[in-house]
Amino acid sequence: MAVSSDGQNSNYYVRVDGLVTRFFTSRGIVKALDGITLGIRKGEIFGLVGESGCGKSVTANSIMDLIPDPPGRIMGGSIFIDGFNIVSDIEKMSTVNVKSETNVKVRRRKRYIKRHNYILSRIRGKKVAMIFQEPFLALNPVITSGEQIMESIMLHDRIGIANSIIRRETIKQDDIDSFVDDVLAAHDPEDRKKVINRWTRQFGFAEIEPSLNDLFENEKNRERINSEIIRIAGEEKTGIKTARLFKARDYYRQLDNVFELSLRQLEMENEQEAEVRRLSSKLAETRTALAKAKQEQDASAIEQLQGEVQNLRKEIKEASTKVDRTEIRSLGRQIRQLKMEIFRKNLPYIIALKLLRKSTEKPFKNEARKRALELLQLVNIAEPTRVIDSYPHELSGGMQQRVMIAMALSSNPRLLIADEPTTALDVTTQAQILDLIKELRSVTDSSVLFITHDLAVIAEMCDRVGVMYAGNLVEEATSNEIFFNAKHPYTQGLLQSIPKTPDGGMKFQKLSSIPGSVPNLITPPEGCRFHPRCAFKMDICEKQKPLLVDVGKGHRVACWLYPDQQKVS
Amino acid sequence: MELRFYIVRRILVLIPTLLGLTLLMFLLEAMIPPALLEIPYFNPKSGISRTIQLHNAAILLGLNLPLPLRYFKYVWLILHGDLGVMNLAGYPGSVTLAIEQAFPNTIQLALFATILALAIAIPLGTFIGARPNSVADQVGRVFSLSGFAMPAFWLAVMLQIGLGKNVITGNPFGVFPISGSVPDVPIAPSFYTNGITSPTHIPIFDALLHADWSYAWGSFMHVVLPTLTLTYGILAGILRFIRAGMVDSTYQEYVRTARAKGVPERDVIKRHIRRNALIPTVTVMGLLFASLLGGAVLVETVFNYPGLGLLSVQAAINFQIFAVIGSTLVFGVILMVANLIVDIVYALIDPRIRY
Amino acid sequence: MADVNVTGKMKPAVTAAKKRHPMLEDFSATFKAFTRNKLAVVGFSITMVYFALTILDYVYPAYLGVSNIDQVTSWVFPLTANPPTGPFIIPSTAAATAPHWWFWFGTSLSRQPILPIMLAALKTDITFTLEVVLLGLLIGITVGAVAGYLGGVVDETLMRITDIFFSVPSLILAIAFVYVLGYSLNNLLAALVILWWPTYARLTRGVTLTVKSMKFIEASRASGASKIRIIFRHVIPNVLSPSFVQLSLDLGTVVLILAGLRFINLPIISPLIPELGTMINDGNSVLVGGYWWAVTVPGVFLLIFTVAVNLMGDGLRDVFDPKLRGL
Repeated sequence: MAVSSDGQNSNYYVRVDGLVTRFFTSRGIVKALDGITLGIRKGEIFGLVGESGCGKSVTANSIMDLIPDPPGRIMGGSIFIDGFNIVSDIEKMSTVNVKSETNVKVRRRKRYIKRHNYILSRIRGKKVAMIFQEPFLALNPVITSGEQIMESIMLHDRIGIANSIIRRETIKQDDIDSFVDDVLAAHDPEDRKKVINRWTRQFGFAEIEPSLNDLFENEKNRERINSEIIRIAGEEKTGIKTARLFKARDYYRQLDNVFELSLRQLEMENEQEAEVRRLSSKLAETRTALAKAKQEQDASAIEQLQGEVQNLRKEIKEASTKVDRTEIRSLGRQIRQLKMEIFRKNLPYIIALKLLRKSTEKPFKNEARKRALELLQLVNIAEPTRVIDSYPHELSGGMQQRVMIAMALSSNPRLLIADEPTTALDVTTQAQILDLIKELRSVTDSSVLFITHDLAVIAEMCDRVGVMYAGNLVEEATSNEIFFNAKHPYTQGLLQSIPKTPDGGMKFQKLSSIPGSVPNLITPPEGCRFHPRCAFKMDICEKQKPLLVDVGKGHRVACWLYPDQQKVS
Repeated sequence: MELRFYIVRRILVLIPTLLGLTLLMFLLEAMIPPALLEIPYFNPKSGISRTIQLHNAAILLGLNLPLPLRYFKYVWLILHGDLGVMNLAGYPGSVTLAIEQAFPNTIQLALFATILALAIAIPLGTFIGARPNSVADQVGRVFSLSGFAMPAFWLAVMLQIGLGKNVITGNPFGVFPISGSVPDVPIAPSFYTNGITSPTHIPIFDALLHADWSYAWGSFMHVVLPTLTLTYGILAGILRFIRAGMVDSTYQEYVRTARAKGVPERDVIKRHIRRNALIPTVTVMGLLFASLLGGAVLVETVFNYPGLGLLSVQAAINFQIFAVIGSTLVFGVILMVANLIVDIVYALIDPRIRY
Repeated sequence: MADVNVTGKMKPAVTAAKKRHPMLEDFSATFKAFTRNKLAVVGFSITMVYFALTILDYVYPAYLGVSNIDQVTSWVFPLTANPPTGPFIIPSTAAATAPHWWFWFGTSLSRQPILPIMLAALKTDITFTLEVVLLGLLIGITVGAVAGYLGGVVDETLMRITDIFFSVPSLILAIAFVYVLGYSLNNLLAALVILWWPTYARLTRGVTLTVKSMKFIEASRASGASKIRIIFRHVIPNVLSPSFVQLSLDLGTVVLILAGLRFINLPIISPLIPELGTMINDGNSVLVGGYWWAVTVPGVFLLIFTVAVNLMGDGLRDVFDPKLRGL
């Protein structure tokens, strides 16, 4: 994927900047996220913690743009996944006219929504995958768990599937020779296993991996090894006509090109329209302020704001005349032409796909099934062949969550979002699932965004932790820093509410809790949203919202108790 | 394997309901004075004296027995395919025979209406359900409500005015015949005996099987307007339930999971939302089918379509007690079988419900 | 912790003082939710207009021009010498007229405007419909609540009986019942009530099962209230709403059954008494003569009523179904 100009620090796989998410309900606007900024580095486990209702899940869903619309929508900010801002076109897709808290008019533009959904469907699951809180609800009850996994595999890795079938079917003597060489060259049995593993995955022979392992352990004669491999591999061949698969692979490759072009088009639009976008977001803000002033009947403010609105409108008009659309248009034309061309070239295949779906998809499905079985093994399911054909309701909660995880891992995502994956499970299963996630992280080398309200889990799992309160990130630091050097009063409160036995004995310490409860986010407190419950409340807390600032060693906190840094920023 | 057991069990459950239905029908019949039940059996031309004939009828029906025994007699007669006699122009003397003639026509009508309604409602409901509160949704809502509210007999008349052949005023759009179920052909087709076609008994299918295209076409044209009338009502019901089911499952978590997997929006709707939305729709199909049969009575009367409905109406107007009771019983049995099919389909599409 | 407890106790006390009576509060919330659905409000208004016209028919028929409708022998054929008079009715000497600017709904062959006849027909149709659904509701709710509350054999018996009633389409069973009872309006009423109570009984039973296990029922049982008292004082008031929704939808169904049975000429009432199904049937019989409005106008008049009650019922269902409320 092309890296956008504001791709930010390449250390981060996902960067969220000033994310604002709102829910427009009949009771009023829920300010669920109020400018969240966080980054998840490659290969780390980032924990997100807070009381229920503080916006952890909303953050997770926002990162994949899974907020149900209506009632919710992302209103601003940016979410860079692998350097691409997935919400850059959010303003284009719809205009939101906030007349009052309960009266919001939304106008949607189908064309942009369609493109947005298209692009996101290629990113979701492939680059970022998600595990949900209640596996029982999150799995489709009328589809077998295997088919749900296979669906995910077939969505994102058609080319890979086609390749591995082709490789297997057209395996040559040379391939086997060089493979045997490689294995014999490795003296350490662990290394051998790795080589065998790599080779079997590469050629789609995952089933014969154990027998190959046995073979290399027991057999020393090169000739015999060779003939044995040919025999085993021959059994695995299915005799599919590869010509058809080549065509299919080409077709999906061409579709990938369309996707690349669409991405480029979107990025180009963004570069061109950056100014217009900045102005229109400002216009939206001013309008909201105007609506508020109208409610409060503040005559002078109304007049001033109305003037501002008019000015901004003029500016937007000017800025949009400057936008040079010829390039974007030509790209659009190119995409259309490419689509037509693909359609024309692959007409027989497309017709076969529509009419003879079952037989056309069969080789893909069989291969996906093999992979699904592998995945189920990977997530420590003892009887993958039984589980793959079971419906979700026939599995236990832990099993369901494993299926969920297998589904999420199916296309090797670089980020796994785990939204309270263990809350709905019993304690022993919880531990197993946590271990599994940890283990998988080291195997697949992906990052994890781990959401929980359980600080103990955070301590066990996470490299870095973000603490959320009422739609804001109030503190962000490494695990150690949070537990031993918490800065924000809310984090301190949370830590004091964990049961501890200080000297390892059975002496129970009195638990303290944070007084009050999470505020109603339709009418959140002004300034720092935590001030009504804060023991260190100052005057400024009620008036001005503190920023998230660095207080050293990458420890960031949003609190007026650390005023020096606030001033600097 | 397990499904077979389920079906067998489900059929066994039918037996008490069936007994209940016969009991109800029997009680209705028992409320009629016995003398009125004997009279239809009197045949002046037979030469046997009236008293003897009436006496024989009383014995046949068990009128001299106490009520419980009479009920067994009633069930016995039904099991032997004897639903009584009737005396009505255009119908055979035996109610069983009359029902045998009328039954395939009604089934044909109900079948066509159901299939047409499903064929329209499923794609349309998917479209509407995927866009709740849009203009299309509002239109669909009014459309389905008017389907519920529409007097079927009035709609039938309106269709006759609009699309029916009118010999007097010469309707320019009038392409469909407004009366009867089969074309008036001078020579009855070879597969047609006693008002029943063979082998399936459903006129259009039989005509097609015998390659009698003109007869098939004629029967088809006759069935168009009644089918359209009946379709409207049931279509409205299915549409509404699919729509509600779609909206309901749109907010389910597994839909979010599908999106999180990267399933394209169209497939999310087709594969994940719609499949789950069809489950509640199937459960109400039985009720909708009942209303369809009720509508069939009126529609068959308007179109003079020789089905069970017309039989029961003519019998009711002309005081043919056995035909009224008999056709009601058969309607009940049709509905029961329909419910059985619905339950089996339900078990097939919802893996959770099985066994 | 102590602090929290105190505030926890204080809160309801403070708010309760501000709030109105809980039932009133509930009603106003329901009403608000109902009025949000514009179509439902339209349906409700139209239904009310029809009811008002029916009441006017009873109270002051002359005002609607329907005073001497009873003497009209058949509204299609010109048999009456003295056409009815009234504020809405202008006697005409013309033959049957299609709808035009003066007679909006056209006139019959006897030169009577159709409108007053339709209004008179409302009296028959709506009175009958209301009688059926209200009687059915009364019986159904009582039986359903008792069976649901007592459970056991009573409940099982009820379910089996209702199963039988649901096993035959209601219109067809109605024909059989009224045939056996003898053709008359009162017998049809009886037949339909017999057919209609199981619907309400089932609905009520279902809700009763949930209400039964609620705390306030347990509380009154613990305080020694008799079963009858609990059923009538506590259960029934809490299980009305689904039946209420069903009732509003059934208004349309029942009126269609009466009109339908009259349309197919079942001799339930004299063809001389104005009734919408009869009117449509009469119109249908003269249709070939080109008098299209004679069948169209009463049909539309009936359709508007059934659409209106369905809109109203639909709105009520949305309000009472908590799943749909938030959307």
